[in-house]
Amino acid sequence: MSTLADQSHLPSLQAPSEPGGRGASNHAPGAARRPGLTVARVGSLLRPSLWILLVLLILAPCACFLVLAISPRLFDQGPQWLTFGYLRGVFSGGNALALTNSLWVSSAAAGLGLAVGFPIAWATHRTQLPGRRLIVGGMWLVLILPSWIPSLGWQRLVQPDGVLTRIGLGSALLTHAIMGPFGVVLLLALRAVPFTYLAISVGLGGLGQEFEDAARIHGATRLQALRMVAPILAPAIFSAVAINFAESISDFGVASTLAFNSHFPMATYQLYASINNFPPQFPSAAAQAWLLVAAVALPLAVQAKALRGRSYAVLSGRTRPARRRALTVPQKLTYSGAVCAFFTLALAVPAFGAVSGSLLADYGASFQVSFVNYRQVFDNSGLSAPLERSLIFGVITASITVVGGVIAARLLARRRTRSTKLLDFLLLASVALPAVVFGAGYIFAYNLPFLSSLGLDLYQTTTLLVVAYVASSLPTNARVLVGAVSQVQPSLHDAARTHGAGPIRAWGLGVLPALSRPIVMAWLLTFTGVFLELPLSQLLDPPGASPVSVAIQNNLGNYHFGVGIAQAVMAVVVALVAVLLVLGGYRLLAPRGWRRIGGGSRG
Amino acid sequence: MLVALAAGLLVLGLSSAGAASAASPRASRSAVTLVVYSAQGYNQAEVTAFQRATGIPVSLENNSTGPLVTQIEASRNNPKWGLLWVDGPTVFAGLDSQHLLVRGFEPKVNWDSLGRQSLPKDKSYVPTGVTLTAALVYNSAKVSKPPDTWQALLSPRWKGKVGMNDPSISGPTYPFVAGMMNYLGSIKAGERYFEKLKANGLLVNQTNGPTLAALSSGQIDLALVQNSAGIGAKFTDHALKIKYLPPITLLPSCIGIDAKAPLLERQEAERFAEYVLSPAGQKVMKSGDPQGDSLYYPVIKGIKKLPAVPSLNGVKTQTINPYLWGSRQDAIDTWFTNNIVQ
Repeated sequence: MSTLADQSHLPSLQAPSEPGGRGASNHAPGAARRPGLTVARVGSLLRPSLWILLVLLILAPCACFLVLAISPRLFDQGPQWLTFGYLRGVFSGGNALALTNSLWVSSAAAGLGLAVGFPIAWATHRTQLPGRRLIVGGMWLVLILPSWIPSLGWQRLVQPDGVLTRIGLGSALLTHAIMGPFGVVLLLALRAVPFTYLAISVGLGGLGQEFEDAARIHGATRLQALRMVAPILAPAIFSAVAINFAESISDFGVASTLAFNSHFPMATYQLYASINNFPPQFPSAAAQAWLLVAAVALPLAVQAKALRGRSYAVLSGRTRPARRRALTVPQKLTYSGAVCAFFTLALAVPAFGAVSGSLLADYGASFQVSFVNYRQVFDNSGLSAPLERSLIFGVITASITVVGGVIAARLLARRRTRSTKLLDFLLLASVALPAVVFGAGYIFAYNLPFLSSLGLDLYQTTTLLVVAYVASSLPTNARVLVGAVSQVQPSLHDAARTHGAGPIRAWGLGVLPALSRPIVMAWLLTFTGVFLELPLSQLLDPPGASPVSVAIQNNLGNYHFGVGIAQAVMAVVVALVAVLLVLGGYRLLAPRGWRRIGGGSRG
Repeated sequence: MLVALAAGLLVLGLSSAGAASAASPRASRSAVTLVVYSAQGYNQAEVTAFQRATGIPVSLENNSTGPLVTQIEASRNNPKWGLLWVDGPTVFAGLDSQHLLVRGFEPKVNWDSLGRQSLPKDKSYVPTGVTLTAALVYNSAKVSKPPDTWQALLSPRWKGKVGMNDPSISGPTYPFVAGMMNYLGSIKAGERYFEKLKANGLLVNQTNGPTLAALSSGQIDLALVQNSAGIGAKFTDHALKIKYLPPITLLPSCIGIDAKAPLLERQEAERFAEYVLSPAGQKVMKSGDPQGDSLYYPVIKGIKKLPAVPSLNGVKTQTINPYLWGSRQDAIDTWFTNNIVQ
């Protein structure tokens, strides 16, 4: 793969001259010493702090859980101090089938998600596509929806005697297609599209017009220019594929609904069933988790091979916003039609499923609309407290996570060393681990008797729940940010330092404006993810302080199915309002220059 | 800086984030908070009434049975719960076999026959009410003549029209599966029965809600669910009716007390169990979730069931040995997942 960094005729892409693989630092020799030392000092403090946090928040809980696969006795979960029987067990019978299914389905979903998400991101940022401002909101809505909602919506439509059948549009072929592997891939891919969109958008935001201009000046056609510019987005593309794969293989919403009802076993459901069994089979679940962790080595290996030795730092003070290309009428129709088709599949169908479920008071026996479920939600004062709690949890978690995410992304964007490779694997592997593993791992790690004897009773507190939220969000957050951070040239920071700013202020003046939009997006991603998070919440739920997802699940799983669906719809609406408030606030409050740099395009 | 920021935000958040703060519920022996783990729909009402009546502070963990039991097992070395209140004696028998429950406690109450049948010999848990599993719920608008026996469900007439829950996920479903194996005489016979049901197009959902939704929407005609779930669904879908096929398995809701809890908390837990079985506590149980868990058969003489709950007169019931079938749950659930669900 050829990248623009290899093209010596492009002046802004200098050969890496510092350990970070960045362009040459351009501050004066006299000014270099003090700032360099200060930055080094800050860096030397931050890096160990981050590693300590990662070890405490991610590595220790995961290790405590995973070790059960070979030594259940360590946590009193079996008689064996050392056994490989559980690991052997995952290569046979139902576990092996489920793992194989998860691997190929996640690979397909990651590829399909990229194939759909990349063109949408490109069209949104590089063309005058009608309604492009709505696309961002739509993508957020797709992200906000827990994956079980689209899954349920599709099921309601196509299942035997489902809605389509009842209105005379049923098709055995469609039912067979959706209620099977194809449907599972489709749903996972639809969920992967926003991740692709975000990662590519961030990459495009830092990709100025000058590269396309340079190519066109040298005679390249529009297509040739695109082919030349696209490799600059390689970090974002591989980041998208890796996150798509990891998110798909760890997904539980689709695995437990559409896949479950289609007799298509997936690894996360097998793992969940092992833990939910009585007594819980933690060692068996840990063995399955080992393979999920190992699975993420695949996209990472591909990514490492593809990106090795190249620099992608293209965002500097000279970066010029890209121009939006005008579209012809047929192009507008084609592009808009494709985008509408995506949102119909990703939003309209699930919205129908969820909203219709909440508006039918009789479980769907009739098509009579009723607001009785919503009335019950409003009459039940027990819902507002969990809703408020989850909002607060989301805000705190997102605020902490985004700080850690920027630092982790900065480390990942540096030249590949053993420690950054380890960090990369650690973060992505933890994305691939189902949250239920995190939850159980947190109990094992932070409810040890010796901690209680020291007065550290963290289990069943909101502290541990928020910490676990941060730990589970950080990997995705860092992944989303790494594309943007890898594009920021050190010259932005150095310029501010040259003008007398301290290291922190220089970062705020020189780097933050370029990263502000990705940071806001990463914050929202974490907030929405935490707001309706279920598996962690169920296992670390502090007595008397349940998050909203647990309250919803208690209704969905039992007698009040319609009320639970209505609660879910309301929670999604609340999350959407929060997203709109944050995006609107950024638009109103952020300096114009910040929005211009991150926006990456004009017209 | 990062650590300080994280700590600061965390402290800021925790100060405003909720009632259950970072302080341990057992921090002080003079004011022990009773930690109640419960999946019952009326648990909040019962806890509130108990606190009002006794002044004992209670912290309620209201969650599904699966996550509650997972928490108990994962925290076995350092338990934080005081009392567990869920459906299904097999769970309690399993916990008792691991010596996790207080033994020898029996509230001084006047049990009826259901209560006496449900009380374990070592008194390691206390029944608080009885439901049945699995009741046959059917759509009377579509089904005029429902099946009379379990064998009849295997006939081609019901091909693709029967649904049930996954015993690995749904708490009340394992006792149903175990009950069928008990009734048919062996695990093998039970496995053959469920294999034939699968061959006849059995739909397996995870929990009661989706199974009943499939029944109402017409995807299936017969649902095998806990009787209280079926009766509750009748409030919203009036076409639904319930039938008890012989024999139907008793499913008591039970209270068990953590054997490792401090003495004071154990005493409070015993008072909680006594309160639940008192006339005042039973009144709360019957009113706390009137379209859900309140639809139970009482276990105390003199306490009447809600009118919506059908009489048990003439119904052939069975009680399974929770210790025997509890010890087999892992193997049977795994078999069910691998052979019936997939």
